Amino acid sequence: MFASSRTAPPVPRALATLVAIVALVAAACGNASTTNPPASTAATAAPTTAASAPESSGGESPASSTAAYTGPPVTIRYSIWGDPQEITNQKAIADAFHVANPSITVDVDVSDWDAYWDKLQTGLAGGAAPDVFAMDGPLFPDYQARDVLLNLKTYIDRDGYDLTHLADQGVKDFTTSDGGQYGLPRDLNTIALFYNKAKFDEAGIPYPDDSWDWTKLVDTAKQLTKSDGGKTSQWGFYTETTDMENYWSELVWQNGGDIMAPDNKTTVLDTDQAAGGIQFLQDLIWKDKVMPDPAVSAETGDAFEQGQAAMAANGSWNVATFDAAGFDYGVAPLPSGPAGRFTSVNPTGAVVFKGSKAPDAAWEFVKYLASPAAQQQLMTLKASIPVNKEVLAGPFSSSWDGAKVFADSLSYAKLKPSFKGYDEFTTTLQNELDTNVFNAANKTAKDALASVVPQLNALLAQQ
Amino acid sequence: MALPIPFGAARGRRRKGPRAGEGWWALLFLAPTLVGLALLSAGPILASFGISLTSWDLLRPPQFVGIDNFVNLANDPRFLVSLRNTAIYTLLSAPIGLVLALALALALNQPLRGIALIRTAYFLPVVTSATAVGLVWAWIYSPASGLLNQAIGVVGLPPQKWITDPFWAMPSIVAMSVWQGLGINVIVFLAGLQAIPQEYYDAASVDGAGRWPKLRNVTLPLLTPSIFFTGILSLIGSFQVFDQVYILARPGKPTEATITLVYFIYESGFKFFRMGEAAAASWILFLIVAVLTVVYFRSQNRWVHYQ
Repeated sequence: MFASSRTAPPVPRALATLVAIVALVAAACGNASTTNPPASTAATAAPTTAASAPESSGGESPASSTAAYTGPPVTIRYSIWGDPQEITNQKAIADAFHVANPSITVDVDVSDWDAYWDKLQTGLAGGAAPDVFAMDGPLFPDYQARDVLLNLKTYIDRDGYDLTHLADQGVKDFTTSDGGQYGLPRDLNTIALFYNKAKFDEAGIPYPDDSWDWTKLVDTAKQLTKSDGGKTSQWGFYTETTDMENYWSELVWQNGGDIMAPDNKTTVLDTDQAAGGIQFLQDLIWKDKVMPDPAVSAETGDAFEQGQAAMAANGSWNVATFDAAGFDYGVAPLPSGPAGRFTSVNPTGAVVFKGSKAPDAAWEFVKYLASPAAQQQLMTLKASIPVNKEVLAGPFSSSWDGAKVFADSLSYAKLKPSFKGYDEFTTTLQNELDTNVFNAANKTAKDALASVVPQLNALLAQQ
Repeated sequence: MALPIPFGAARGRRRKGPRAGEGWWALLFLAPTLVGLALLSAGPILASFGISLTSWDLLRPPQFVGIDNFVNLANDPRFLVSLRNTAIYTLLSAPIGLVLALALALALNQPLRGIALIRTAYFLPVVTSATAVGLVWAWIYSPASGLLNQAIGVVGLPPQKWITDPFWAMPSIVAMSVWQGLGINVIVFLAGLQAIPQEYYDAASVDGAGRWPKLRNVTLPLLTPSIFFTGILSLIGSFQVFDQVYILARPGKPTEATITLVYFIYESGFKFFRMGEAAAASWILFLIVAVLTVVYFRSQNRWVHYQ
């Protein structure tokens, strides 16, 4: 063997051994970083000072506790998902709770939607879950069925807590068929039609109202779509396509269709009525061309928020975001379809971990979240629709211009489907709809549904 | 140029084997790694095999179901699609990554001023988080105003949707992965190139060999150990692709064009409460990689030349 004039050590067979070891380790362990979800939204926003004082005068209602917490001082953990605005809101409410219940401290931790569920599952499996956590109505059955949530029925009975003070649509999602109550609703979300006033004024078109139907929506959206040498400079309409809530489930209902059979054991999306509703949305994108291609929107963001769309079908949770966008907008009911007017309601609840070390304190906090004090604070922050009837029917409706539309919309709102296996169901369904119906018009809604419904029913049969 | 006397090599040749007792020292130094491997890798690996034979939702006690999970996977269209996508990804990314890295390493193996800076630049993506890289590339691929669409627009090509276009989705992810992983292969190749003794080139010059014959007959054969090494790492890494798919997929989640095996495992276990099925899929992944690794190792006698 030659020695090199440069600094070359001999390369022996040892290299082969090294290769073997590294390969083995790499094959066995994998890349640890591959299983990490992306970093969660930073929780840096400071609580708003304006809202941190509870409305103590209207505080204790018949619906809230009579027996306050008497146990030892304790700290409980409260996990939520959300964007920076929601973090601020929930922290402000947790702080107000601490003022009212000095012996209970609430640590709020926040993750973005995807990371939230990953962390929750591993926390529950490892027995280290938060004491109280936010629960999405549709996903509730998957957790309740797995025996990780505390049945609050005993506490409700003990305190004589009156559930009828809360909107039925909110309570129902957290009730089981055997009479258990595994959570209380925290807020409600419905979908309405937002419109940019300046764009209507500019075109001399009257604002949308409760007389609108699908035809009127398409006609007006066409008038408000502006093209500039082949490139669209203003869209008549904007909505999202990746979740049924905003806004294809409403279109299915408005067209006389439905998503699930009443027992939730099969899907009934393979009807002409259901297909017609989804077809309407595909047509808005690809035939009428009044809303941006969802694949493009995924990159550019919400065209309505950016002032590039005249109207948007979107959720009540966007109000604070649209306020911050700095233009004048109004809210109208969703246009009615051939079968009438429907919107979707989806409650977010607060549930208690069955393994919590401080269930009494956790219950007090869950109760507080639904109390008039916290609900009024939620209202002041324009965070969402209150679930407490007292606040909903009273101060909320007149709290700002669009609030009444949201409050009234509960009378024609259908509950977003909620059943075991929901996540897998929607993943499979949206895979087909996104790829072949919304992101590109490869198939009609009817054909796409016909191809995916058997798969969906097979999934439901396994649950 | 005078040849130095090969002292080191001569000394090395006289040594027959490890001295008595050296084995124990070796074991002692290896102990931290071995203990870590045994506890943190071997344990979970064995446990995952047990889990793969159960129906387990992570939250309630597992139930033994035999090989049901494996049978179900064989009939699960989504799993088969993820297998297909992973194979496509590997077939594209591993060879392209190797060839590009080799070309780059040859280009970078020059005694130029500032070469260290250039080499560092190529290594930077390797140490950048996949999330950051993914977000930047999402912007490059943006169908509305992305850099790539602007670039191809200059030469008159129509804009593409890249990530959401079922045809372009996988090549787009491959391109990003290749770019990100290039640096590590380049470093290995550079080390390999610099370990090739100058004498071989001198001898080749004396025989009248030009640049291409030198590359063909000296550089490449002597670089085969490095190629072998990067090849196996690329193969294993490609089968485990996850981050790129997870970050780039939009709107929403990876679709049928982009779900990979590891994404399928993640989704089954952590989204759909099917930990048993996820473990079974992991074992199928392990077996595929293990078989390919063995075949690859068997092949080395035929093409890898150690000096």
